[in-house]
Amino acid sequence: MSKSKALHYGAKKKPDYGRKQSYRFSRRALLVGGAQAGLFGLLGWRLHQLQIKEASEYRLLSDENRMMVQLAAPSRGSIRDRTGALLAEDKENLRLLVLPAFCKSLPETLDKLSHIVPISRGTRDRIRRAAVRQSGYHPVLVAEGLTWRQFALLNVLAPQIPGLRTDRSAYRKYHHARPMAHLVGYVGMAGKEEVDLDPVMRLPGFRAGRSGVEKTFDEQLRGTPGTQKFEVDSRGRVVRELGATPSTPGKDLVLSIDHHLQTVAQERLKEHRVASVVVLDVETGGILALASTPTFDPNDVVFRVDPKAWGRIARAKDQPLQNRAIRGQYPPGSTFKVVTALAGLHAGVIEPEETMRCPGVYRLGRARFRCWKSHGGGINVHEAIKQSCDVYFYETAKRMGIDHLAAVARHLGLGRIYDCGLPGQKEGIIPDVAWKRTHLMQPWYGGETVIAGIGQGFVSSTPLQLAVMAGRVATGRAVLPKLVLSPDDPDPEWPLLQLDPRHLDIVRRGMIGVVNEPRGTARRSALKIPDVLMAGKTGTSQVVNAYNEHKLSPYKRETHALFVAYAPADKPRYAAACVVEHGGGGSSAAAPIVKDVMTEALLRDAAKSPAFAGTSAETISGQIAVVGDGG
Amino acid sequence: MLFAQAPAVKQDLVKKLLSLNWPFLALVTAIVLVGVAALYSVAGGSFEPWASRQVIRYCVGLALLFAVAFSDIRWWLKGAYPLFLSALVLMALVPLIGVESGGARRWLGFGDLSFQPSEMMKIAVVLAIARYYQWLAPQKIWRPDALIPPLLMIGVPALLALSQPDLGTAALFAIIGAGMMFLAGVSWFYFAGAITGVVLALPHAWEMLHDYQKERVLTFFDPDRDPLGSGYHILQSKIAIGSGGLSGKGFMNGTQAQLNFLPEKHTDFIFTMFSEEMGFVGAIVLLALYLLALVFITFMALSCRSMFAKLVAGGMGLTLFAYVFINVAMVTGLVPVVGVPLPLVSYGGTSMLTMMIGLGFVLNAHVNRRVTFRQAELGGLW
Repeated sequence: MSKSKALHYGAKKKPDYGRKQSYRFSRRALLVGGAQAGLFGLLGWRLHQLQIKEASEYRLLSDENRMMVQLAAPSRGSIRDRTGALLAEDKENLRLLVLPAFCKSLPETLDKLSHIVPISRGTRDRIRRAAVRQSGYHPVLVAEGLTWRQFALLNVLAPQIPGLRTDRSAYRKYHHARPMAHLVGYVGMAGKEEVDLDPVMRLPGFRAGRSGVEKTFDEQLRGTPGTQKFEVDSRGRVVRELGATPSTPGKDLVLSIDHHLQTVAQERLKEHRVASVVVLDVETGGILALASTPTFDPNDVVFRVDPKAWGRIARAKDQPLQNRAIRGQYPPGSTFKVVTALAGLHAGVIEPEETMRCPGVYRLGRARFRCWKSHGGGINVHEAIKQSCDVYFYETAKRMGIDHLAAVARHLGLGRIYDCGLPGQKEGIIPDVAWKRTHLMQPWYGGETVIAGIGQGFVSSTPLQLAVMAGRVATGRAVLPKLVLSPDDPDPEWPLLQLDPRHLDIVRRGMIGVVNEPRGTARRSALKIPDVLMAGKTGTSQVVNAYNEHKLSPYKRETHALFVAYAPADKPRYAAACVVEHGGGGSSAAAPIVKDVMTEALLRDAAKSPAFAGTSAETISGQIAVVGDGG
Repeated sequence: MLFAQAPAVKQDLVKKLLSLNWPFLALVTAIVLVGVAALYSVAGGSFEPWASRQVIRYCVGLALLFAVAFSDIRWWLKGAYPLFLSALVLMALVPLIGVESGGARRWLGFGDLSFQPSEMMKIAVVLAIARYYQWLAPQKIWRPDALIPPLLMIGVPALLALSQPDLGTAALFAIIGAGMMFLAGVSWFYFAGAITGVVLALPHAWEMLHDYQKERVLTFFDPDRDPLGSGYHILQSKIAIGSGGLSGKGFMNGTQAQLNFLPEKHTDFIFTMFSEEMGFVGAIVLLALYLLALVFITFMALSCRSMFAKLVAGGMGLTLFAYVFINVAMVTGLVPVVGVPLPLVSYGGTSMLTMMIGLGFVLNAHVNRRVTFRQAELGGLW
């Protein structure tokens, strides 16, 4: 060893302090090491004392020492419609759980339980796997949704079957489920980010709103959890309750929706593949119906979920989870002519009595823009709206320019998201010069103004936006949609639109003409109720262009059918919008739906009856009022 | 050529890689894995939220360990005093601008990051004392005036830690410092004198303690004083360990831990949970792993030529020992609860990283065991 060599050769007469120090280090390091080993020996002796000599004493203490704290999930607030009908509520869910650590033998316990509750082989596998994977003190779910009979039997048997536990949690039940699915939404296990924000969400049985109103108002609906303290014996059975802090249930919500009208609307949409319809109360802004087809049953996705069924819903071709009424963005087509007419009159580029000639085609430079038919001469604003003449609005849009048109469109409520409690709304597009520069980094071309005049090109809107536009034209006020009713809210006083009432009147008369006068495009959809007129505007928006014409299937090539309306024409109360995706002409596909839904709305006249006010006492008086009405 | 020097550097690195003490590294990894399994069990059989993050921290720590182990030992010799001084300044800043958490100011916040200067000091104090004895003439070691610098190096950080207040860290500085001075060759007589002094000063120190610290010490001597207050931890911990018996209650089946009787069961009291589930056998095996690691460190320290490397390795060994001993003694009720984690096993990023860096220095000393220093080649500043 080099060290020992160094020792021999390095030893000289003079004392070598460095070497001496080095040896001293070695000696002391071994000494310190020995001391460390000795102290570890002390620890070992201590462990021996605790774990071997006094083990039985501590084991006894540990067995006595079983206090369990359980968090009690609060019950979630219910959701009702304006008549007080339940749309979503918490139902009691009776569950059977096992604590594998306390079972004498897990398969035996399951055998015993299967006399009362059927346990499939798949469930058995799942329980066995869970018992192996997690700690034996974590309860494993065996069955839920038990009947009272099963629950009572299990509770009687509990003392004889160690490790068995029953509890009462809650699940979410949706009523009028399919028509309300998009609006009310559904609940699910909390996502990762929600768990990070609030660890309580990790509790089994705790649910968070995943879509619709359930999502927007999740915090109010959720409530706060309480705790329960139990003393349990060595087999995990509750000896006594040591105290509890109660959970606070979530707040209830009342929606402006009328479930009856909503159901009628949903039924009426059924014949189409993808369609949606919105009905607003134009005085309060309350949404009375907002239906979208295809739809789904939220009960299938919240309780005893079958993963296959969920996969079918989530991956279905026409995407039933999507709420078309707020997420479908369509070129508004001729329904946008209402905006163009108002904007033209407001800008002063057209006079009410000014007439134009429609030769069936409009020329701008070398470009040609076609009208859907040749209307001939003598077309003024009224006739142009009524007969939906494209040439008239091409010229109007060209005269005023895109920025003015866009400003009026936004003033009528298009191109924005409403703060009404519906999550996931799309904004749509109301294009102008600045928009195109920032989003496409291109200059604006004159031809684009021309086609924007008939609601084509870049323009797009959602059905909800179109209904708001109809409501604003009908009332002349800046109506905003509202979904949640609260008793303290006074009826809103919407501000007047910054438009000349005479201009609004001209456009309204045009819209009345569309439905009620000869040559009106929606004449066949006039209401059958005596003395009540509906005003409306059809739209048939083109989907194909030179680029995609050959790529699309025949269905996808078909035009979208649109219709916006309000009624009664003389004293507007309801506004509606309907879009049938690839449904063909607005007058043939969309207008009949609005006619039927509007008729239903007018006959029920839900907006006039008092809305449900919340507490149970008032529920009863509300029912009496309804009965009285019927009589 | 762009990489003209690459082969030489590579050879150097290969040499360093070969000279690394791989069995020791495997031992450290084994201890960390025991900890990950324990954290998996604490979470009720889940990698979330602790075990997975602990693995990530170990990986980060491993990268730091390699970086330190393969760095040039001369940098550290040169940088020992500057590092110590900056750690001292940061520790002094804590009471002024630190973040308060759980009744004590120990952290410095930088935006989202927080940082505990006393952790940095645990490394810096070892380097500084080793640096001091590297060039202290051996014949001067016994002289009283040569004791003043190392005593200041220990005393000032310890007092700063006490003022935070962090009794555990202060005790750690004292143990490491005294141990290193002993290793460096300070006379026995001084130690005998110091022990006498401490015994005499104890009543005065008692007066200086905070109320909660007094309470802890009192309940340590008599846990039944307050079985639901501060004595609760010790009592529950002892019940858990004792009820584990010879072979334990089985992985993930510790009733005390799983039914939530243990406080801090994933951090300071993880040894309790481990010995409840794994029993006496498991606890002894874990302690044996630590002891084996300490034996490795002692032999690595002995193999070094320079005093600096010897003392760095020895000092880090003392740190590891002090941590393990205080933690296990604390949870078994041998010493009062002072809040010291079980190194490499307890959940916590700071202590894991500090320990891995410290072990990096041990390996660095071992890689450079044949290196000797001449004062001249390092430049004159210190």
